[in-house]
Amino acid sequence: MTIQPHILVIDDEPQILRALRTILSARQFRVSTASTAAEGLALAAAGQPDLIILDLSLPDMDGIQVCGHLRAWTQTPIIVLSVRDAERDKVAALDRGADDFLTKPFGIDELLARIRVALRHATQTPAPHKTVVTAGPLRIDLAGFTVKRGDEEIKLTATEFKLLAYLAANAGRVLTHRSILTHVWDPADADHVEYLRVFIRQLRKKLEDSPEEPKYLLSEPGIGYRFIADD
Amino acid sequence: MRQIWNFLQDERRVLPAVLAVLSTGAVTVALLALREHFDLAILVLAYMLPVGLSAFLWGFGPGMAASLASFLLLNYYFIPPYGSLMIHQSQHILVLVSFLVLTISISQLVGRMRDSLETARRRENETKRLYDLSLDLSGSLIEHGILNTLARHTFETFQADLVEILLETDSQPEMVSWPVEAGCASPPVALASLQGSQGLLGEIRLWRGEESLNPAESRLLQLFASQGVLALERTRLSSAATRARILEESDQMKSALLSSVSHELRTPLATIKASVTSLRDDSFTWDAAARTDLLAVIEEETDLLNQLVGNLLNMSRIQAGALQLEREWNDLHEVIEPALRHARAASPSHHFEMDIPDDLPLIFMDYTLMEQVFNNLFSNSIKYSPPGSTIRMRAFLVNGIVQAQVINQGPPVSEQNLERIFEKFHRVTAAEKITGTGLGLSICKGIIEAHQGHIWAENLPEGFTIMFTLPIEAEGALPDLPTL
Repeated sequence: MTIQPHILVIDDEPQILRALRTILSARQFRVSTASTAAEGLALAAAGQPDLIILDLSLPDMDGIQVCGHLRAWTQTPIIVLSVRDAERDKVAALDRGADDFLTKPFGIDELLARIRVALRHATQTPAPHKTVVTAGPLRIDLAGFTVKRGDEEIKLTATEFKLLAYLAANAGRVLTHRSILTHVWDPADADHVEYLRVFIRQLRKKLEDSPEEPKYLLSEPGIGYRFIADD
Repeated sequence: MRQIWNFLQDERRVLPAVLAVLSTGAVTVALLALREHFDLAILVLAYMLPVGLSAFLWGFGPGMAASLASFLLLNYYFIPPYGSLMIHQSQHILVLVSFLVLTISISQLVGRMRDSLETARRRENETKRLYDLSLDLSGSLIEHGILNTLARHTFETFQADLVEILLETDSQPEMVSWPVEAGCASPPVALASLQGSQGLLGEIRLWRGEESLNPAESRLLQLFASQGVLALERTRLSSAATRARILEESDQMKSALLSSVSHELRTPLATIKASVTSLRDDSFTWDAAARTDLLAVIEEETDLLNQLVGNLLNMSRIQAGALQLEREWNDLHEVIEPALRHARAASPSHHFEMDIPDDLPLIFMDYTLMEQVFNNLFSNSIKYSPPGSTIRMRAFLVNGIVQAQVINQGPPVSEQNLERIFEKFHRVTAAEKITGTGLGLSICKGIIEAHQGHIWAENLPEGFTIMFTLPIEAEGALPDLPTL
């Protein structure tokens, strides 16, 4: 019997808190809630949650700032909630250390998937990373620098592999344009989204069954990309 | 004394008088040689010439000067005894007095005639200047343009060194100068206030060497000022009227929006409420299929509400001119993909086809807003074309511009409605049959135009299409692409 993960939800909407408490409790999570940033920060320090769900618009403090405060002392995964059209805020929160985001309104299946991925990445941090990532017929060997679809090897250029490897190593998590560009190219190229577009298109052509409707290399409009691997 | 000195200092006044006197001197020199051969009457007549000429050329003053000089010279050189101003014969006195009276009268008459001719010419010039000014002013519809025109005309008409116009406005005073960017530290030689019907609007300041304006010029400057005031007040009135009309229209638009929106919001809410209350009803047990069905309805209607709210938000931004584009280099394939996924989920009964070349260049556009354009175009096509028909999306590059179109097999739209479908709340078919706020296409138009593109509708032999263009360049530049 594993210990129930503890989730802290910080949101100023009582109805969201009520719904999330009910839904997450039913899924065997321990849930605590806070309706202000101050209360949330205090609970995070006292309760040592395994994951924090943080709304970006709070009455007493900017959610992006809350991310910064939390990251000053803890690596607890943070999933930020925000409305559409607030892409800039989401990117800022992700760059400040948030692990993932969800746009309101969201489906619970999406939230649970994000929670799963975030908790997995959190527990993995001290342990060595998985070196082989599988997604449908794709098998990406991060250590061996090979990608196979079934038995057939897919030829990738060095940059294409570097990009795919970064996304696959973070499977399930959103990676911002800036973070990908900095990591795969160079910090000086952090604003060259056009590089990314071209290489993503190339990768999709090589990896996806139907590049027009990708299943593994997903775009997060205005934010970044996410690689979907098998669970 | 000082006045006379000043008067004499003015070379424009003294020089003609000197010339007039010199002309009489010239006549004297000419006549002296022939003194013995001519009768006194001819000599007297000959002296009339410089007097009349001076009065005609330079006016009464110089004419008088010539007249007096002639009188003295005639007396001195031609009335015996020669070489003195003495007169012995009474008939000579008569001749000289008559000469003086006559020449003074001539100077006066000719001078007055000349003055009135001059005045008439000046008036004509003023009228022409005023006419030109008012013509130019009537072409300006903005305050800044009016001020510039007024400053330029003042500058040219008064041969000024610098003209400045200061205008008081609601926010901060506006200053226009001609020539532009010039400045002057000394006080202006002339000022004219722009006196409007509601109070002082501002003033014209004029610099022109040391020379101040003469009364006629001052009057003309006042006329210029009042022409400027007329033009300014006309613009202010008309912009006030335009503002009032826009407010009224936006009021009408808001109430239309509110009634349309409350209807549109209630429809999915009613469905959700009905489904949820049914599921909560303990007195009845739903079988699994019905349960799933009701829940699917709730989810679909929630998504619809979400899309509706997004559209409303963007509409209000477009309306307020506050649509902020977050443009980046984007791949059209990527932008269409989520919209296509939604469309497929929303209408499994339609076929969707994509026709976008692989090598279509990246486009500098706002991903989220363009996705909304495709969402709206797809949802429109789904609404207006029969189930089972095909919805096609095409995009291609023509002369550095991407042209994209969504084609459906819906009924044609009448010629007069092809443009009107992009207006707010316009719906081609009767409102009851088709749901929606009638905002979708007008939002597409707002977004496409914010991207410097055009959007239009066309009937095709076997369907209907909405097309739009997007420039692929960003401020004249293409993306800096890595080598593959």
